[in-house]
Amino acid sequence: MSKSKNVLRSFFSSIKLTIALLVLLVLLFMAATFIPRPYGIAWLADLYHSPLFYILMGLLSINLIICSINRLPVTLRQCKSTHPPPSVLFENLENERIIFTDKIDAACRAVDASLTAKFSSVKKLKTAKGIIFYREGGRFSLFGVYIVHLSILIIIAAAIIGSVFGLETDVHLQEGESASVIQLNKDKGPYQLDFSVRCDQFVVEFYHTGAPKTYRSDLSFIREGNVVHKGSVLVNHPLTFEGFRFYQSSYGISPETKAVLTYTTAGGKSTDIMVKQGDVFQLPAKKARATVLRVEENIMQLGPAVKLSIEADKKHIQFWVFQHIKEIAEVNPGLLSEVPLFNPGLFKPLVFSLKTIEKRYYTGLRVVRDPGVPFALTGGVFLLVGLITIYFTAHQRIWVLVEQQPQRVKISVNGISNRYSTSLAGKLNRLRQRISGEIAT
Amino acid sequence: MTDTVILNYVTFIYFTSFVLYLFRMIFLKEFWARLASFLAWTGFFAHTFALILRWKASYNLGFGHAPLSNLYESLVFFAWSIIILYLAVEWRIKNKSLGAFVVPITFFTMAYASIAPGINNRIEPLIPALQSNWLTTHVVTCFMGYAAFTVAFGCGLLYLWKSGKEAKYSPMFAEKLPPLPALDLLIYQSAALGFVFLAIGIITGSVWAHYAWGAYWSWDPKETWSLITWLVYAIMIHARYVRSWHGKRLAVLAVIGFACMLFTYLGVNLLSSLHSYL
Repeated sequence: MSKSKNVLRSFFSSIKLTIALLVLLVLLFMAATFIPRPYGIAWLADLYHSPLFYILMGLLSINLIICSINRLPVTLRQCKSTHPPPSVLFENLENERIIFTDKIDAACRAVDASLTAKFSSVKKLKTAKGIIFYREGGRFSLFGVYIVHLSILIIIAAAIIGSVFGLETDVHLQEGESASVIQLNKDKGPYQLDFSVRCDQFVVEFYHTGAPKTYRSDLSFIREGNVVHKGSVLVNHPLTFEGFRFYQSSYGISPETKAVLTYTTAGGKSTDIMVKQGDVFQLPAKKARATVLRVEENIMQLGPAVKLSIEADKKHIQFWVFQHIKEIAEVNPGLLSEVPLFNPGLFKPLVFSLKTIEKRYYTGLRVVRDPGVPFALTGGVFLLVGLITIYFTAHQRIWVLVEQQPQRVKISVNGISNRYSTSLAGKLNRLRQRISGEIAT
Repeated sequence: MTDTVILNYVTFIYFTSFVLYLFRMIFLKEFWARLASFLAWTGFFAHTFALILRWKASYNLGFGHAPLSNLYESLVFFAWSIIILYLAVEWRIKNKSLGAFVVPITFFTMAYASIAPGINNRIEPLIPALQSNWLTTHVVTCFMGYAAFTVAFGCGLLYLWKSGKEAKYSPMFAEKLPPLPALDLLIYQSAALGFVFLAIGIITGSVWAHYAWGAYWSWDPKETWSLITWLVYAIMIHARYVRSWHGKRLAVLAVIGFACMLFTYLGVNLLSSLHSYL
């Protein structure tokens, strides 16, 4: 039993497993982005919700935890057993790290003064070999790697919390319309909010170049018939209400958009007819009925248009009525005879014209609740702190040995760093110069 | 429009600098390298000046945003990040041979920015999706990461080139190039710097996505590829630190990582992405 336990533990604590898992994840991610979603292999198209992905993330988490636990005692030992120095530290030291002088007291004073001037805490130890001065800095640096690994685990946890307890959906609201039941994504069925949200107005503004400038929905949150909160949602500026976040995600022209049509007959012009998509109205001639198939704000880059279907005497014709048909016909001579679909006078003897379209927008809101967000944020902060700790701090230890030799006093300077040995070397050189200076004065 | 004119000259300066760095490799005379380096510094100062001019111009037009809002501006900024980081590294290692491998990338980026089809170098107002305070932080940190990866890639190439040539040529030649262990360390240090910057870039991007799209992570191809790039360098760092991978293996990983980074930056646009504006 214990043997199999050891095998399992050594499997999970191996860095080879980490690298293999990371390589596998990289290859899977690559495959998933290349294979187009609708045609792909089912599990690959939805890789991030597939059992394989969960298993890999699980393995990675276990691997991370066990590797960290295995390493921790080593780090703690590094942290504790700093004093006295490793026995080989002062063997074969280069000459530029050594100073010779004559009086031991003066030497100790100089070393002490130089070290305390530069660093705060300096320890002193009398040994058989001589007097050892010691200072340590950046011990925290040893723990950076644990902070980074912990942050990865927190981020994975955040993703799990989000997928279990979170929900997200898209809601389309026409101006004036309100909703209290939202249809959840991924066929999870309807969800009853304990308030309702109403879109009072949707505004879209453009720059003079034609590029969009602002999309804004003015929302009211209603509870028991009373408006309890009002606010605007813009892209990059979501609104939070009762733990739900509302995002501006899309917009469009509502099917409620009204078109104002007229037609001319022998007897003159008709009155204005207000219609929306799906409306049916009677025409004077031959008991004809017109059905409004579509109302478009801008079709084929030719401006507003309405598609009509007219039934009379078992005849059935369809055509578009463009608001700017005059201009369109001028640019394309012969259009009306060649493309009957563009001819507003196709149903003789009536000639239709479109006066205007009274646009009504709908706004597309994304509604999200994700209790994982604070965890993800914590993970991100930890990741940042951990990385900065690893790469911008170093655990540096410096020892100075003052020993009485038969004819002279020998001062040796050396140190150990877990990173950036060049920066430590510079520090040691400066320290040696300072000590020489102190002795000289 | 003055900024684009200056940037055209800057492209030419970088090209000349690259040619002079090549001369140094061929003739092994430090004179060429000093001239090349001088030109690279000149290009960098002109480049910086042009970026400031463009920034100011956008305020004069009433838009007022950092020049980081479309493909043209991002390429110009990418080239700027590479050159500033390269010059810093050159100054630190006191060896100018790396220039022949990094400066051409700066030149190609600038050239691509001015001649690529369908590229738009006009200053335009920000569309709603980009109207965020996170734009500058996110883009700057990402491109600093990209630039560090580019320097690591240059070191990797130099490493592979030198270790391939070493057997054939005289020691005189090898002496003019940085020693292999120093290059190895430089690959690692640049990659680690890029790793930290890309991490910050991904985190700031997530925060922005949280405000803009309603999800801090949505497996958009650009997000996925930035994670792929980050993981490749994570593999590199772990392989070196724990498995003691050095030299050629590290250099090859730096090349692979650079390829992933390029795909994250430009290749992803071939796939449908929420990042379509870059």
